[in-house]
Amino acid sequence: MSSFIPMGPKIAVLTPEIIVFGGSVLVSIIGLSRSKTLRNSVPLLAALTLLASLVAIAFGYSNEAAEQAGVLMPHFNKIIKTIILVIGIGLVAISVGHIDRRMEDAVARGATTFDPMRVVRGEFYAFMLLSICGAMLIPGSPDLIWLFLALELTSLPTYIMVAMSRGTRRAQEAAVKYFFLGAMSTAIFLYGFALIYGSTGSLQLSTIREVFADQVGRGGIDTLGTTGLILCILGFCYKLAAAPMHFYAPDVYEGAANPVTGFLSFIPKIAGFAALAVLLNTVGWSGHAGISETGTVIGGLPAPILATLWMISALTMTLGNIGALLQKSVKRMLAYSSISHSGYMVLAIIAGPGLGFEALLFYLISYGVTNLAIFGALSGLQKRGEDVESFEELSGIGRRYPGLAAWLAIGSGSLMGMPPLLGFWAKLMLFMAGVQAGHTPLVIIAALNSAVSVWYYLRLIGVPTLSPPGTSSEGVLKGPSSWPRFAGAVAAFVVILLPLFASRILGNSAEFAPVRPASSAKPVPTTTQETPREENAQLALHCSPTRL
Amino acid sequence: MIPMLSITDTHADSPAHAVVTAIVNAIPSPELGWTGLILLFPAISVVLTGLCCALRVKSKLPGWITVLALAGSFALVLKLYFLRGDAGAPVVVHLWDWMNFSWGNQDKWHSLQADVSVYVDSLTLFWLLFVTGLGTLIAIYATEYMEADVGKGYARFFNGVSIFILAMCTLVMADNLILMYLGWEGVGLASYLLIGYYYKKPAAAAAGQKAFIVNRIGDLGLAVGIWLIWVNYGTIEFNTLFQVWNDADRGVGGFDKALIPYCLMLGAFGKSAQLPLYVWLPDAMEGPTPVSALIHAATMVTAGVYLIARTYPLFTLHPDALATVAWVGGLTAIFSATIGMAQYDFKRVFAYSTISQLGYMFMGLGVGTTFGAAYHTLTHAFFKALLFLTAGAIMHGFAGQLDLRKLSGLRKVPGFKIVSWTMLIGCLWLSAFPYSAGMLSKDVILVQALSGKDHGFVWLGWIGLITAAMTAYYAFRVWFRVCAGPVFYMPGEESHDDHDAHHDDHGAHADPTSTTSHEFHPHAPRWAMNGVLLIIMLGAFATGIPGYMEMRGESNWAQVMMAHSSAFAGSVQAHVTDAVNFGMNPHQLVEVFGTAASLGGIAIAMYFHLLQRKSADKLRAWLLAHNSIRWIPVAMENKWYVDEFYHACVRGPAWIAGHILHFTDKHVVDGLMVNGIGRIPAALGRLFQPLYNGVLQGYATTMAGGAALVVAWVVYRWLTSGVGA
Repeated sequence: MSSFIPMGPKIAVLTPEIIVFGGSVLVSIIGLSRSKTLRNSVPLLAALTLLASLVAIAFGYSNEAAEQAGVLMPHFNKIIKTIILVIGIGLVAISVGHIDRRMEDAVARGATTFDPMRVVRGEFYAFMLLSICGAMLIPGSPDLIWLFLALELTSLPTYIMVAMSRGTRRAQEAAVKYFFLGAMSTAIFLYGFALIYGSTGSLQLSTIREVFADQVGRGGIDTLGTTGLILCILGFCYKLAAAPMHFYAPDVYEGAANPVTGFLSFIPKIAGFAALAVLLNTVGWSGHAGISETGTVIGGLPAPILATLWMISALTMTLGNIGALLQKSVKRMLAYSSISHSGYMVLAIIAGPGLGFEALLFYLISYGVTNLAIFGALSGLQKRGEDVESFEELSGIGRRYPGLAAWLAIGSGSLMGMPPLLGFWAKLMLFMAGVQAGHTPLVIIAALNSAVSVWYYLRLIGVPTLSPPGTSSEGVLKGPSSWPRFAGAVAAFVVILLPLFASRILGNSAEFAPVRPASSAKPVPTTTQETPREENAQLALHCSPTRL
Repeated sequence: MIPMLSITDTHADSPAHAVVTAIVNAIPSPELGWTGLILLFPAISVVLTGLCCALRVKSKLPGWITVLALAGSFALVLKLYFLRGDAGAPVVVHLWDWMNFSWGNQDKWHSLQADVSVYVDSLTLFWLLFVTGLGTLIAIYATEYMEADVGKGYARFFNGVSIFILAMCTLVMADNLILMYLGWEGVGLASYLLIGYYYKKPAAAAAGQKAFIVNRIGDLGLAVGIWLIWVNYGTIEFNTLFQVWNDADRGVGGFDKALIPYCLMLGAFGKSAQLPLYVWLPDAMEGPTPVSALIHAATMVTAGVYLIARTYPLFTLHPDALATVAWVGGLTAIFSATIGMAQYDFKRVFAYSTISQLGYMFMGLGVGTTFGAAYHTLTHAFFKALLFLTAGAIMHGFAGQLDLRKLSGLRKVPGFKIVSWTMLIGCLWLSAFPYSAGMLSKDVILVQALSGKDHGFVWLGWIGLITAAMTAYYAFRVWFRVCAGPVFYMPGEESHDDHDAHHDDHGAHADPTSTTSHEFHPHAPRWAMNGVLLIIMLGAFATGIPGYMEMRGESNWAQVMMAHSSAFAGSVQAHVTDAVNFGMNPHQLVEVFGTAASLGGIAIAMYFHLLQRKSADKLRAWLLAHNSIRWIPVAMENKWYVDEFYHACVRGPAWIAGHILHFTDKHVVDGLMVNGIGRIPAALGRLFQPLYNGVLQGYATTMAGGAALVVAWVVYRWLTSGVGA
């Protein structure tokens, strides 16, 4: 099916992305200015760009217009973009004062003169905005080419950001690793795209959806299509930092500067989850997953894909948690923790639209905000102009900087899932979605993993507050800018207070479900058994999505 | 009118009979959305005073912000009261959604709903009135009392007070048990922060921790209780719970139902400092005195009374539940009175008297007069706040002096007239002087106890009367020692800063290094403190009004308010005329013996502590000289060694267990698990070393291999077995 979508409405829907793109161009130029004030205004400009984009979404986005422009899941699209932008502003704030720190110090001391060839701040924020722009394009992808380009636009800038974030060899080594392995993952999912095209003969997601539905009706999605889908999932796993593609995460997270690590552990992850949702929408969760009265799962993903995701989820959370247990570096620990959180969130993808997606979005918000609190605190510290990254360096800093230790503790408690912090509610929703979708064993694995994770998260609470200051923590001082600490503080307060207002934020996602493309009249049949529509309706009644 | 239903009488052969009232279904009232402002004002104050803390504001600004916010809340509470009257039906004001979970299938459908909503009935209003009213007054008092700390801890103090009022209002206004629990923990937090306000003083820090930890035991009970309520009734929202209770069987339930009241009362005993969890309250006096007055006398400690009154219907789930409450209350009353009689620190005397008076309130709840309990809470809030504030004024003026042997005749010291006479009123009210509010409220409880025939309630009544005599004695022991008699005073230990600062203007002849007693000039309270003392004294008089009306058999607002709340359901109606002791009905009995107890106690105190002060020492020496009875004063002065007992039975074993665990942790966990089992990941790591060695090709191979394995497995499992995907 080839449907011609007029350009005008499509561009109107893309206004937020266009604003971010424009901002990135502006920022890259202004970063080269001779005026110190102008150079220093780069992060502010980047944040304002994101804010403007947010305003464009808040006032200029309507689900109907987006649907007409070919967006398959308009509501999902809107929420994901909003989350990316809000967290993005925080990520800009925590990176203030980090890039070009030495160069600017030298210029201020008069040791050297400003040389546009030797500064990278403008580029850094430009790449940051480009990556954010790429991530924003993903959930609205109408076809595979778009999805591919958006994914690459998300990833390519991050490789450079890792390299330029600090001048050490480790950062460059990390960047090279990140780039090569990223290229390989791209190859994997691109191959998957090719196989899907081979199976369905189309690049349009809505057409692919119809063809797959036909194939299911004739006995199941064919080998080519299934293999293609699985390769895509595996390729996306790289963006999520999920097993078996998670190996790079500890090395790269450790090599990058703290604010960039914060960026890497959120933006590619949310991009990956959005891509996963867009892709899996072609095979569908059959409207909703649920448990019939006899206790069997009806509907749901095709069996091989479900099994793959199930395995990825279980493996990822377990490997991540085991890896985190004995780390000496906070950043390696957080890298493993980030891996395990991906594992939890895959569970939400398995649970599907309704409660599952609601849990996924809430979890992403919770993870993003918590991440900001922790990386805000870490980026707010320095030791002789270098990042703070080992537990030893954090030992006892709570005595000098009680606030920063508190943000770390609050963030860590939230990642752990300690009530009444945000992370607790996110995990609770996730587990309930899992149980309702009939994946109790996976929920039990997740709960056990969650219990194991307490071990290492408690260290991040205990070491800064309870341990005595040691020799390596003596030289740790506040960073040059107070913006990272401020962002951390705001995020920590949000972690505490958001649970009270959570329903307000996700209120309108109660009726959330991917909207079927208008062209596809046929409902996607259930995959494991044919379920009459009436029964589905009845089930929907019982599995009414709950709100938090 | 409330429909009245009578059910099987649990007190079958008692003259009193149980009347169970159906609780009126609450009306959802979105138009009352402004009641949320009662919570919002203190919340704003928390934020603003927090900012003052961060910005190190060096003025009284945070104090006045708090006063303004609390006054705003109080004004709104008054508006609500005048809007609804005494007997308005309960309303639910939904502020916003909070949590709503549901899961399960057709056969078993569970849901857990708790929104940020307000449940306002007469019980809530009753508590709100004195919480916000006294809160405002005490905050005004504190603006002057804490002035030595302006720029240091002043903002932190008022931040704590704002947190407290916010949490307390949440506690009494919550429409569900989880929100109430949030408030319950919030007041605990505020109490902890404020007891440890002078955190540099080890005793204060330790007292804060003690309060927090002892309260945890009670809170565990409350948490389990909430869980059991949800398991049994499927809801934790008060209104739904009451409606379920209205419709369902109200008799004795199964074991898990019967456990509910006991769990709830454990929580109440912890928060309200009853046996066996009272030990934290005397130590809590380490906090600034306005805090003792507000939190540890007038409001927070009555949260337990509120909890039981709010969930009163559930206390009929086990026939002995209310009797347990009554007996724990009665025994606490007399036990802490014995300790109060032998303390020399008069703030501690008042602390023990608080525990004792709370005991009366629990006795009232237990014997079935929720009106008596709530009314005593009200009168006690006023006269005890008054007593603590006068104690605070004396501490403020005499550099922290609290020893009643080192102060005397303050009523003749210039500037302390108002303090002395308001303290007299407080002492009269505390000792249940005939026709004072304290007597009127206490009598309601004692009459009810003496007219009971089950569970030995009559004995409880007598215990209450004996305690009344002891109370009168120790209250006036303080007043006759401190305010009456010859003028004599010694400053306390906090004299230096305050003293020097105060006497800077004395010029050359003042010697700044000297702080001996004859050089010391007391620091008389000014308008804020004196004014608040007078207002609260007037309030203490006013609290007598419902009591007079009750005595004359007229209906009064306190009675009507209790009768139109959940506290009334299941409450026992008094039929006092039948029970006869010494040829008198309980009313006459309490009138005669109560008056005798009060006047007798005051007379004894007058003899030993005003007229013949030496004879008190002689009596003590005589008691100590006789081996067979010397344990009595020794044990009383040492608070019956309860702290030491707990130390030996709880802290000691915990300390030993801690060391055993530390040893285990060091040698077994660290030694075996971390270094042993911990080697497993390390060994696994070594096994997978090629995977994590940081070499790019290795990672690429592993990732590609992993992907290939997954694909191969899927192809093998599904595509070759012929099962349709």
